[in-house]
Amino acid sequence: MAQAQAAAQSADALKRVNRRTSAARGAFRQSINIPVLLAVLALLAYGAVVIWTASLTIPEASFPRHLLGIGLGLFAAVVCWRYDFRSLSNYSTILLVVTVIVIFTPYIPGLSWNAKGMTGWIRIPLIGLTFQPVEVAKTLTVLFMAALGAQYNGHIDNVHEYAKLCGMLAVPFGAVLLAGDLGSGMVVFFAGAVIIMMSGPKREWVLSTIAIIIGLVALVLALDTVLDSLLGHDVLLKQYQINRLLVFIDPDADTTSAGYNLKQSLIAVGSGGFFGKGIGAATQAGEGFLPEAHTDFVFALLSEEFGFVGSLVLLALFAALIFSTIRIAFKSSSLYLKLVAVGIVGIWLFQVLENVGMCIGLMPITGIPLPFISFGSSSMLMQLANVGIIQSIWRCRTKSA
Amino acid sequence: MDAQIVVVIAGAILVFAIIAALIFMRTAGGRFTYDTQRGTQPRATEGEGNTPGVAFKGRFTMLTAAAGTVFAAIFTKLWSMQMVSSDYYEELAVQNQTRTVTTPAPRGRILDRNGEPLVANRASLTVAAYRDLADNEILVRHLANVLGMPYTAVRRNIIDYNQGAQSLHTVASDVRRSTIAYIQEHASDFAGVEVVERTERMYPHGSLAAHVLGYTGTITQEQLDAQEETTEGDGSQAGRIQYESGDIVGQAGVEIEYENLLQGIRGEQTVMVDATGNVTGATGAIPPEPGSDIKLTLDLTIQKACEDGLKRAMQVAKQFGHNNATKGACVCLDCTNGEILGMASAPEFDPSVFIGGVSTDDWNTLNSDEGGHPMVNRAIAGEYMSASTIKPLSALAALKYGIMNESDTVTCTGWWTGLGEANGKWCWNHSGHGPMTLKSGIIMSCDPVFYEIGKGFYYDEENPEGLQAMFRAWGLGSKTEVDLPGESTGRVPDAAWKKEFFADWDDADRNWNPGDMANIVIGQGDILVTPLQMACAYAGIANGGKEFTPHVFLSAVSRDGSGDVVTYETKERLTGDFGKQSDIELVEDALVGVIYDESPSQAAHFTNLDVTVAGKSGTGQKNGEDDYSWFVVYAPADDPKYVVASLVEQGGFGNEASMYAVRDVLGVIYDQPDTAGTSASDGSR
Repeated sequence: MAQAQAAAQSADALKRVNRRTSAARGAFRQSINIPVLLAVLALLAYGAVVIWTASLTIPEASFPRHLLGIGLGLFAAVVCWRYDFRSLSNYSTILLVVTVIVIFTPYIPGLSWNAKGMTGWIRIPLIGLTFQPVEVAKTLTVLFMAALGAQYNGHIDNVHEYAKLCGMLAVPFGAVLLAGDLGSGMVVFFAGAVIIMMSGPKREWVLSTIAIIIGLVALVLALDTVLDSLLGHDVLLKQYQINRLLVFIDPDADTTSAGYNLKQSLIAVGSGGFFGKGIGAATQAGEGFLPEAHTDFVFALLSEEFGFVGSLVLLALFAALIFSTIRIAFKSSSLYLKLVAVGIVGIWLFQVLENVGMCIGLMPITGIPLPFISFGSSSMLMQLANVGIIQSIWRCRTKSA
Repeated sequence: MDAQIVVVIAGAILVFAIIAALIFMRTAGGRFTYDTQRGTQPRATEGEGNTPGVAFKGRFTMLTAAAGTVFAAIFTKLWSMQMVSSDYYEELAVQNQTRTVTTPAPRGRILDRNGEPLVANRASLTVAAYRDLADNEILVRHLANVLGMPYTAVRRNIIDYNQGAQSLHTVASDVRRSTIAYIQEHASDFAGVEVVERTERMYPHGSLAAHVLGYTGTITQEQLDAQEETTEGDGSQAGRIQYESGDIVGQAGVEIEYENLLQGIRGEQTVMVDATGNVTGATGAIPPEPGSDIKLTLDLTIQKACEDGLKRAMQVAKQFGHNNATKGACVCLDCTNGEILGMASAPEFDPSVFIGGVSTDDWNTLNSDEGGHPMVNRAIAGEYMSASTIKPLSALAALKYGIMNESDTVTCTGWWTGLGEANGKWCWNHSGHGPMTLKSGIIMSCDPVFYEIGKGFYYDEENPEGLQAMFRAWGLGSKTEVDLPGESTGRVPDAAWKKEFFADWDDADRNWNPGDMANIVIGQGDILVTPLQMACAYAGIANGGKEFTPHVFLSAVSRDGSGDVVTYETKERLTGDFGKQSDIELVEDALVGVIYDESPSQAAHFTNLDVTVAGKSGTGQKNGEDDYSWFVVYAPADDPKYVVASLVEQGGFGNEASMYAVRDVLGVIYDQPDTAGTSASDGSR
């Protein structure tokens, strides 16, 4: 009897312990999405290895600075993770204003910082750190567009409302273009477009919009050629932007830098083969043939060193991150958070497509970084902040009390 | 082109897009219909469900599919690049990092028959640059300071319009090693300045035999084009030397004639470079194969003797008042095999001016009338009337065609009127030689004897051109096929030639007349021969008819010892024509007689030689110029070995100039210098 009691007591105790541990584990799972976390950590590690190898031959690729970026980013991620973004859904106007201000900060005297011909940087006073505000603008645009899109409760019935939404996206998009960063503008546009499409417009409107956009792009290209020849200087698009596009169409069309870069990138990726050339054995990057091997063309460096296998691992990690995030968005009960999550998916998806695609000749050349891999603290900080936002969405996925 | 296509396509897409958008907007607006029968509820016709959950599920499926498409596209492209085409890209990557650097192969040397180098090589550190560099004034000034040259000189060398724009222009040759080291250590300050180690031609004996040896120079565009054509012609030229712009090739003389033996095969080395072109390593190397050394038949001593003898001859001619005696030629042959032992031509030139590119001034001087065209090898390219040296051949013709016999005599009164008083001709000896046989006619060079022969041929029914046939049979009027470029043919005039040559004259004037015949029979008029042709003809006489093809090439030895030794195979060129054996013996005897019996002053120069000499003088007359001085000899007369022929333009009588040249050559050959002093000619020819 006593024995049985003791047995029951011990069994109870065991159950209690089990329950407590499972509850603790559950709470951890509750607040942090494991697949996203693992994917991001793996990407960070992978990126660190790649940047470390780049730092062996490229003096600009400072490995400690890369680690600093990761550290700052992880800090930002934790801050974002602890913050409940649902409260932002009502501040769409403020978000828009902040976004536009952030985009134009490089033009504020005292903040703007131009070195080596680069524009779009600010130098934070007192600390002296330099930063690319457009990286913040991407995330702010997502938050702002999601706030607008969430108003329609998943169904936009009125074409005017749809047009208004599109017009609102054109504001940050146009601002980024005005600031002179076509690549980031495309990221903002793509992320915003994903949010709009997920907000529930009619499919016909979306298709029509796409058609109109293609038409407008064609019109701009045509007008640009005509206006340039009429006025004798670059009006709408800069010549290097046209060159990049032409080079994408025909890699041999331009023998200047754009064509050279693309050709060297293709050679780097292609010559990597199945297993790659190994760490430190990447001749294209190591001997300086591949430009910007640690930033814009980091994927080419990675492909050359780690080959097809290494590229697949990278793609698999990105796929895991993106599909997990889509799942988080799906699971979230808040429409606003859903839209924020898909917006971030849009950022990642487009940046991966554009950056990897440009290295392998799928996309025209633009200077946007590969998330979590490219050297550059601004991008690293904000991409990890995006991860923090995703984790926050996971943490707040059920209707809060 | 591309941009226009993009614009056109974009425009087409724009039109299509706008039309499509309008249609969609219209139909979308019309999809909400009021159903009067089943109620007034608007019915959405979208494919998505009505509840937000179902709708979102569909959208998320789309988003997932879009993301999947992106990854699939990247995967496919990566597969094609890294799995399928990786070899292609690998090759491109290797191409990126490798450059082929060529190392020039040293040219073969040119030696005399005893192995004494006439042309050798010498390594020279050269600073060179492309023409563009001249635009960079600061760099050029810096370079000028380092080289210790005036800025303008450096700049002029860099621009150097004598060389192609794409070729490296030599700024300075023979630069000190310390200077080279300084330039190489400060490579970034001297971007575009190249240091080249070149092997340059060196002439240990200066201008000696320059006409035979020739010179080298950068390959010309025409030569490159010619190579292109021949290579296109047949592709089986695998072993041939492929020339590149900037290669040094032979441009004259033996240098060009035996270019394919002398030219080495350049070495190639594959080096690894980084993106900025810095060499980071080296891989496979093919060492350069030096060209073969060539041995010439020239004998340095005899060559020197020919040149010195020719100089002395011209000097003596000047003593006799022939101040224009500055040009001439002197050839020494081995009549037993055709080997050319010495070949001199005046004026001479210095082949070293061509090293590293000849300057415009030098080139113009070398090709000007004032300079006397020193690059012309007068021994093979100079065409002169043969004068009396042709008389032995005329005699052979007369004997063969029965125009005159050994015993026939002609009485020379000094004024020959065989073609009528109006067409009377002087013998050189205006006082007359008296009765002359054919043999004494040759010895005394008596013109009327030969005028008779000329007249005899002209009026001969069967062989009116037997004389010309005889000349041709001994090799006149055709190339000797000597292995040197630029040989002249000479000319044996006949009736057909005269008609054609003076095509715009009246028919009467173009007709071949007995006067023409009387002219060419003594080597005057329109007949033209080269000194080498005469030397060969006399070699034939000395040999009893047999003439060998004259040549300067003896053998070639591959420098690395592996190649075959190429040796010249003696070729018989022709056998001179004559009637009977006694004919040629008569002529040979007469030629000995010329040396010892024609005049005591002439004989005095030969009696102090142990060997018997046979030969003939000649004096060519040209209107408005001093006489052209000829002398051709062979020795020993009883067993001929050496033939020496000399010509001095405007040198006066044969024994006023050329005789001293041939005598000096014989003197060197037999080590018995001419002890007789120069004496005024007694006028014998």
